[in-house]
Amino acid sequence: MRAWFSTLGVVAQIAFRNLFASRLKTVIVGGIIFFGGLLVVAGNSLLDSLVASMSRSVIGSVAGHIQVYNAKSKDSLEVMGRMMMGDPDLAQLDDFAKVRESLLKVPNVKSVVPMGISGALVTSGNTIDLALEKLRNAVKARQAAKTDQERLSADAHVTSEKAHLRQIVAVLQNDLKNASAVLDAKAIDKDDAAAVVRAASDEFWRDFDKDPFAALEFLENRIASQAADADLLFLNYVGTDFTSFQKSFDRMKIVDGTMVPPGKRGFLFAKHVYEEQLKLKAARRFDQIREGKLQQGETIAKDPDLQRMVRENVAQVREILLQLDADKTADFRRKLQRELGSQENDVGKLLAAFFQTDDANFLGRYDFFYKELAPSLELYRVRIGDVLTIKAFTRSGYVQSVNVPVYGTFEFQGLEKSTLAGALNLMDLVSFRELYGFMSGEKLAEIEEMQKSVGAHDVSRENAEAELFGPRSGAAAAPAADTAPAKKAAPAPRHVEATTTPGVAPVLHDLGESLGGKLQREEARSRVFPPDEVERGVVLNAAVILKDPRQIRQTMAAIEAQGKKDGLELKAIDWQTAAGLIGQFINVIRVVLYVAILIIFLIALVIINNALVMATLERVREIGTLRAIGAQRRFILTMLVIESLVVGTIFGGLGAAVGAIIVSVVGKVGIPAKSDIWFFFFSGPRLHPFIGTSNIIAAFIIVLLVSAFSSFYPAWIAMRVTPRQAMQEDE
Amino acid sequence: MKAIVSVRDAVKNYRLGTVEVPALRGVTLDVVEGDFLAIAGPSGSGKTTLLNLIGCVDTPTSGTVEVAGKNTRELSERELTSLRLHTIGFIFQSFNLVSVLTVFQNVELPLLLQRELTGRERAQRVTALLDRVGLHEYGGHRPSELSGGQRQRVAIARALVTRPHIVLADEPTANLDSVTGANILDLMRELNRTERTTFIFSTHDQKVMSHANAVVRLADGKFVDRVSPAEAAAEGARV
Repeated sequence: MRAWFSTLGVVAQIAFRNLFASRLKTVIVGGIIFFGGLLVVAGNSLLDSLVASMSRSVIGSVAGHIQVYNAKSKDSLEVMGRMMMGDPDLAQLDDFAKVRESLLKVPNVKSVVPMGISGALVTSGNTIDLALEKLRNAVKARQAAKTDQERLSADAHVTSEKAHLRQIVAVLQNDLKNASAVLDAKAIDKDDAAAVVRAASDEFWRDFDKDPFAALEFLENRIASQAADADLLFLNYVGTDFTSFQKSFDRMKIVDGTMVPPGKRGFLFAKHVYEEQLKLKAARRFDQIREGKLQQGETIAKDPDLQRMVRENVAQVREILLQLDADKTADFRRKLQRELGSQENDVGKLLAAFFQTDDANFLGRYDFFYKELAPSLELYRVRIGDVLTIKAFTRSGYVQSVNVPVYGTFEFQGLEKSTLAGALNLMDLVSFRELYGFMSGEKLAEIEEMQKSVGAHDVSRENAEAELFGPRSGAAAAPAADTAPAKKAAPAPRHVEATTTPGVAPVLHDLGESLGGKLQREEARSRVFPPDEVERGVVLNAAVILKDPRQIRQTMAAIEAQGKKDGLELKAIDWQTAAGLIGQFINVIRVVLYVAILIIFLIALVIINNALVMATLERVREIGTLRAIGAQRRFILTMLVIESLVVGTIFGGLGAAVGAIIVSVVGKVGIPAKSDIWFFFFSGPRLHPFIGTSNIIAAFIIVLLVSAFSSFYPAWIAMRVTPRQAMQEDE
Repeated sequence: MKAIVSVRDAVKNYRLGTVEVPALRGVTLDVVEGDFLAIAGPSGSGKTTLLNLIGCVDTPTSGTVEVAGKNTRELSERELTSLRLHTIGFIFQSFNLVSVLTVFQNVELPLLLQRELTGRERAQRVTALLDRVGLHEYGGHRPSELSGGQRQRVAIARALVTRPHIVLADEPTANLDSVTGANILDLMRELNRTERTTFIFSTHDQKVMSHANAVVRLADGKFVDRVSPAEAAAEGARV
């Protein structure tokens, strides 16, 4: 053993001297290894930090550590990253209270949040409908006016609303003119065009007061349909218990409005959705240009994205024009003329000129817009306090609609800008269940009442035919004919509920001032559901927050086991699986990094191998001499491997160290999130990478392996060198 | 006197592609301990091949080569290497010093491979030998900083440091000018006398042969004769 050590000593000595003597080779080979070590440490640390921050985002925003759902579900649960695709086919968890009770028996479970994720189309307001409604109300008020004073004020009101409608019609007429310039004349409906011409004529408005209701009807039937500015919104929402949601996801914070009170119906918009989809587009684009300029340091002159937004703002002033009644039009004209120093009278042209911004005037115009123009505009299509009518296809295919008051907007701290974390809005569980097609106690009672009143009674599947067609003798009929009516006759209870829903509620703002509408709104706002009903009902899934997140695997198994014990078939998935595509994303990045590292090390292997082969060939005489004077082959092998390992250790170590330093420096400064999606992955505006010890160890092992592997072939060559080659002369 | 090297009918063929090229065609030779023997002959006569066989660098195709009582054909690669390390010293035509090591380290190298002496013993022996070859001040120098003659002195010191029975030198003066060459041979001769080390060297230089006890002449891979340096010189002059 001592002898072995002393040989090693000699070998190492020669190896070190050789490395020092052939400095250039050492530096080249070392440089590559250095870079490899650096990449492994920096890349892996970055990735680990990304996973950590992303997991914070996913866990903290909606997924929790573990998601639990019914094991009998056909599809797997995905709480994030889904777009407009249909809901996954999940079997329901019938009684959330029971599920919670079962889950809380698992020691590592801290809290359980009931959930159901779905999406629905929402129609948001149509400006002309609103204007017509206001005019109709004004006309009615004028008729109902009792005093001169009232009549005078109502008259002024009517005049103003009329002016607004004329403004809208003018915009439509202009649209029509533009359309006829680009479209085939046949493509434009002649009747539509004639209707607009009539509505824009002075006679029409002069005669309006002779028969205001006929004129209104004309506008409603012929004109309103042409002003298709109502947008269909697709909203993804999580039905949940607000109190327990807020407690478990403590990064959630209310931005505008208030939290939904316990037991009440309510809707909270994700702030991101609210800004992105509900804000007046011109204003939204103004915000984005400002952000691009101030936060990302971009300029309109250079950034094509900002240029696009400026162009869109110039081209799309119609959205604003439609909101302007006579007073506002005059007001805008005056303000814009003064601001732009222009003599132009057309507000549309003035607005277009106003939105034609550049880097010099942008910030001034931004302030002007929000100070002077925005107060006269509806900046959001849905205001806090509005009642939102959400229509959804229930699981059985019927359209169900629910009125939910909007209480406010919320965001997750650190994920303010994230499209992904901000894509889910929140809704109370009762409304969610109704939209999904589950029944609330209230609905069940209502149905029972109705069934009683019409004398309906439960029909079992077996007796369905008999009930429908009367008793039949013999069972000779074809089986196909047997089953079809049976299905129709005895649908699942949920189907009954869906078909008997009293009157699908109208779209937002459409409720009118009718008594029914008022009552529905009132109900939506004031009704308080008993906690028991909220708790004991159906949910689709549940988010589980853990006390010790490191034990996620064991806890998942424990949850499923506990479920079985309690007669619940539960499936537990971790946050990464629950995050669906986003969870996969991290795996993709990891694969890409590993492939990159692999390629770099393969290249390194080839280069190092080459360099060592060259070096070995140059040293044939020296090696031959060593062999001649009595060095065994093993000595030569050890010498070369030690040379490689020394280079690997020193340079790989240096690379890892520099990588670690870079990571820690970058960790202090942080990597800024360039776009919304990175906010999600970075779990905030900046990613602060940290160094994992395992990464440094991994880097070291990889580097040593690569150095060892790359020295095998040259070592093999060296071992073949015979002592005779020491004698050969070069001449 | 006892033969330290005994070569019997040694044949060595080298394979060049598919052709077998004979390098030695049956040489028989005895070398006694303390000899100072020159192997002479023109290029391609088999001098180097014979030295390689004696030096255990190669084994004969047929015939036997016994070095220090061991038949080299019966030895494994490892054993041959070990035999080289312990009984033979080499001096090369191009000195073959390890360029990255200092003079001292080059001389010390065989002792390190032997792993028999302590660091102090090694240092003593290396210093003594460098003294003998007149290079005691150059221990810290790199080979590249020395002249050809100095380098060959280092090589001689390295060959002798393990106190081998035999020192083999293949054309040791071929890369040196005549005065330096003569000095080197004088040094070898002196060491031969004082240390009783057997020297076998190849040469085709008459002047070099004159230093030897005897000259073995080879031609076309065959033993021609064994003559005294004087005879060799006389014949060389005649040719």
